[in-house]
Amino acid sequence: MARSFDTLTAAEIAAGIAAGDFSAAEVCTAALDAIAAREPEVQAFLQVTPELAQEAAARIDAARAAGEALGPLAGVPLAIKDNMNLAGTRTTCASRMLENYESPYTATCVARMLAAGCIPVGKANMDEFAFGSSTDSSAFHPTNNPWDTARVPGGSSGGSAAAVAAGMVPLSLGSDTGGSIRQPAALCGVVGMKPTYGAVSRYGVVAFGSSLDQVGPFGRTVADVALAMDALVSGGRDPYDSTAQDVVPGFVAAAASAEDLAGTRIGLVPAFMEAEGLTAEVRAGVERAASALEAAGAELVEVDLPHVDAAIAAYYVIGPAEAFSNLARFDGIRYGYQEPGCANLAQQSALSRAHGFGDEAKRRQMLGAYLLSSGVYDTYYYAAQKARTLITADYTAAFAQVDAILMPATPHAAFRHGEISDPTQMYLSDMYTISLNIAGNGGIVVPVGLGEDTGLPMAAQLVAPAFADERLVTYAAVIERALADAATGAPVLGVAPACAGKGGELA
Amino acid sequence: MALTQEDVRGIADYARIALEGDELAQMTAYMNDAVAMLEPVLAYNLPDVEPTFHPIGDLSNVMREDAAAPERDLARDAALGNAVATRGDSFRVPSILGEGEA
Repeated sequence: MARSFDTLTAAEIAAGIAAGDFSAAEVCTAALDAIAAREPEVQAFLQVTPELAQEAAARIDAARAAGEALGPLAGVPLAIKDNMNLAGTRTTCASRMLENYESPYTATCVARMLAAGCIPVGKANMDEFAFGSSTDSSAFHPTNNPWDTARVPGGSSGGSAAAVAAGMVPLSLGSDTGGSIRQPAALCGVVGMKPTYGAVSRYGVVAFGSSLDQVGPFGRTVADVALAMDALVSGGRDPYDSTAQDVVPGFVAAAASAEDLAGTRIGLVPAFMEAEGLTAEVRAGVERAASALEAAGAELVEVDLPHVDAAIAAYYVIGPAEAFSNLARFDGIRYGYQEPGCANLAQQSALSRAHGFGDEAKRRQMLGAYLLSSGVYDTYYYAAQKARTLITADYTAAFAQVDAILMPATPHAAFRHGEISDPTQMYLSDMYTISLNIAGNGGIVVPVGLGEDTGLPMAAQLVAPAFADERLVTYAAVIERALADAATGAPVLGVAPACAGKGGELA
Repeated sequence: MALTQEDVRGIADYARIALEGDELAQMTAYMNDAVAMLEPVLAYNLPDVEPTFHPIGDLSNVMREDAAAPERDLARDAALGNAVATRGDSFRVPSILGEGEA
């Protein structure tokens, strides 16, 4: 009997190909069929790459036929956020500025996923240059949340999250500067992880906030995210990214070790759980996750992060300042949109940037330019970096008491397209994700079911000390297993119902 | 003190972003909203706290041998391939100084 490939995890696809149950070419065809059937409703992709996918699949089938060892993700379809270079594709950052930009090389994170055997099926939509929490600021089209297409998938990695939630791919890559992996994972009901700053190379990823950016994976199970993390850190520190650090690939083992949590202490932050704007259903979801950890033997402990209130303000100083510096390179000369018919270079730069960038990209750069200007810089920038010192110290103090902290990922479920039209209101919805980018440590978002009021995906976020990211995978796996279907063992949320089984049959 | 449209015009000039039509008024409103949102951070301008410019800051930088790495060189075609205007082996730009500025 035929079944849709979306019932399979990345681990099952790789195992099935290795065992000869199906070929990589068949999986590739199934993924492309699923994309063809589901993409009109979801619009997760900016570019689908059937030729690259088929070539990669053929190489895997040939390797298997030749008796060669296959990678741990051999034949697993992968979606890649469109701020990551992959030779043979455009890298547009969802901006008119880079509409025709051909990737001159392949980003390390992408190359490592491909080296593990992934087949690249396409480049995923995002907020323009990763500025946003909805993916609505893409210059090309919005992406719809697979659970309710009137709603946003979150952002900025909204296409990457939606592609996984819609069952078009089992794995995708995103980047997280202020929550851009974790917030869309929460809104789309998938697992998403921002590792510690430096754990994954950013070489070949278009820079937004250089002291904040980090790459990470999305998947429908914790085990799949662990497989992706092992692939991303395998090969050690990338000499092409001076912030990259050596991380031992122990994520798969950490996910499999999720059993008894006796002796583990999990922190809860009362101020987060009682925050204004946090909906009752999100709080109830986080409490379900807390109960799951407690049932596994963990002790729940209240901890305080007294300076975390400053995180949003500090972020919207540091982020725009770094974005302005990074995006100054887009002058229309070496790459990017160039305004025709200009009399001089200054006019060409100003008009190329005016017409190449969308509204939010202009707003962030204008704010950054102001904050870095003479006189203003001393007032805001130093204050933000001092707040950063205190927020980091808060986490250090908290982690002296607990092994990890459990908190919401977002204050509310997915919102409707256009529902949050005021940019500064949109910024405030980053309240639970931003402090990790400020302090640099890692976090994971794990689905906890559907909200009792909205019927939309709910999630919990776990936060660990810097370079203790394996813990995140262990504790998330405990939550996942506790909330799983008792009969089948399937995670509490699977492929979004409107998409499940639509196209993508594996013969 | 609120930013005026003249202030914002000056910032746009510095940022090399031409604001046209209603954009100046809209950007001015946004800038004032955004700066108001940043207000809480001013309480952190504390004399006895060191700023942190980089997370995980005590880790060492990654260095490489000071030697050419030809495998990383971007081929000339690739380097020029994404530019709109080129001539020969060069990027082509309009005059740097406008008329009367020379």
